[in-house]
Amino acid sequence: MTDVRLVPAPGRQALRAAVRSRLADLGLGLRVVAEGILGADGPIDLVALDPDGGVVLVLLAAEGADLELPGRGLAQRSWVEARLGDWQQLSPRLGLTPHAGVRLLLIAPDFGPQALAAARALGPAVAGLATVRCVRNGSAIQVLLERIRSTAAPSGRSADDGTPSSRFRSGLGDSDLSLTPDERRDLE
Amino acid sequence: MARGLADVLHYFVAETPVAEPTGAATPAARRPILGVPLAGRDVVRAALAWNLAVEAARLGVRSTLVAPSAADAASLWPDAGKGPLGAELIVTFAEDLAELAAAAQSTSASPEETFDDGGLVVVHVPPPWIEKAPAPLPLLRHVLLFASPERSDLAQTYSLLKRCVAAGAERIGVTIHGVRSVIEAEEAFLRLARASERHLGRPIESYGLLVDDLNVYRSIVSRRPIGLTHPHSPAARALRDVANLLVGDLRGGAFD
Repeated sequence: MTDVRLVPAPGRQALRAAVRSRLADLGLGLRVVAEGILGADGPIDLVALDPDGGVVLVLLAAEGADLELPGRGLAQRSWVEARLGDWQQLSPRLGLTPHAGVRLLLIAPDFGPQALAAARALGPAVAGLATVRCVRNGSAIQVLLERIRSTAAPSGRSADDGTPSSRFRSGLGDSDLSLTPDERRDLE
Repeated sequence: MARGLADVLHYFVAETPVAEPTGAATPAARRPILGVPLAGRDVVRAALAWNLAVEAARLGVRSTLVAPSAADAASLWPDAGKGPLGAELIVTFAEDLAELAAAAQSTSASPEETFDDGGLVVVHVPPPWIEKAPAPLPLLRHVLLFASPERSDLAQTYSLLKRCVAAGAERIGVTIHGVRSVIEAEEAFLRLARASERHLGRPIESYGLLVDDLNVYRSIVSRRPIGLTHPHSPAARALRDVANLLVGDLRGGAFD
């Protein structure tokens, strides 16, 4: 029987190519139009268009580097937004719809709570998340892409995807811990 | 009216005396024991543990905190004996984990009382004693650790957690203290939980958060519980929440 097991991700270029080949698995209808272009102080792994002609920037992170993705994503998004008009001029048949905006698709092997919180703060209209795992099936390596459908706080997920099953408990909200900014202003 | 044999048997056979109740107690109900590893000079966490015991007492749980005198108890704890709301502090002359465990067991069982309202024995365990534990002890079956969100402190707490697991801990709870927001506490807890599950194969239980509030330090200086001196402070609110989680699990049988 073939030995199927998780393996570390290959180098960046190989991973990028593998993710590009399986992007359709995410069911987003994305069409990749560019790969590895130089953006704001670094490369944008993939530039894709969604069915509405909106630009989707696909950014990849290595294991443990998930937290940098939201920051990188915002920087690249801002850089691309400023150039959408130019891209439209350079390639009018690309199918790009500048007013459809720029969204992010952030892909990493695992997302920790801080990265998830940052993505939550950005909102689903700006950023979507997906995990990538590399599987060796016999001699071939395949990537498995899976969308994180809800950016709500995880609860009770198994430890298989790196998220602990232990759940944080507290009956308190931030308002219980200190004065709100408005309260503080009124009292100062 | 005809009589049966039972009615006259006593004329011919000595009656077997009916056993009188001896007055001996049924096996004593034991209060669950919660081990709380605290370093010898950790006055803040000692204050938190003591305040939790008081808050548990407020919730109707008979609370006793047992501390070894060898761990410089005088600087850590208020006066021994019955304290606010009936929470009790017992200082023992135990010099190692086995003696401390014996003191805790003795405290947890009290044949003249029943614990229908639930009870808890919180035991201050010096971390160096855990390494020398000869065998798994009931004292370390249930453990509560305090951790701040600082990375170095989380690493130290993880190291302590690892030692507790090696010493036989079955259930490990963690309270994150010194936080300014709920998300800060949650992230710290999940970081610890991930490490524990990934490397030790053990989930940990969350016992909420405690805030970095000036009243914690006032409580240390005054040797009075925050819940009584500053009941409306964020620190008191957080203590009550953690105590609610602890007592809820206690009454739900998690410490059986």
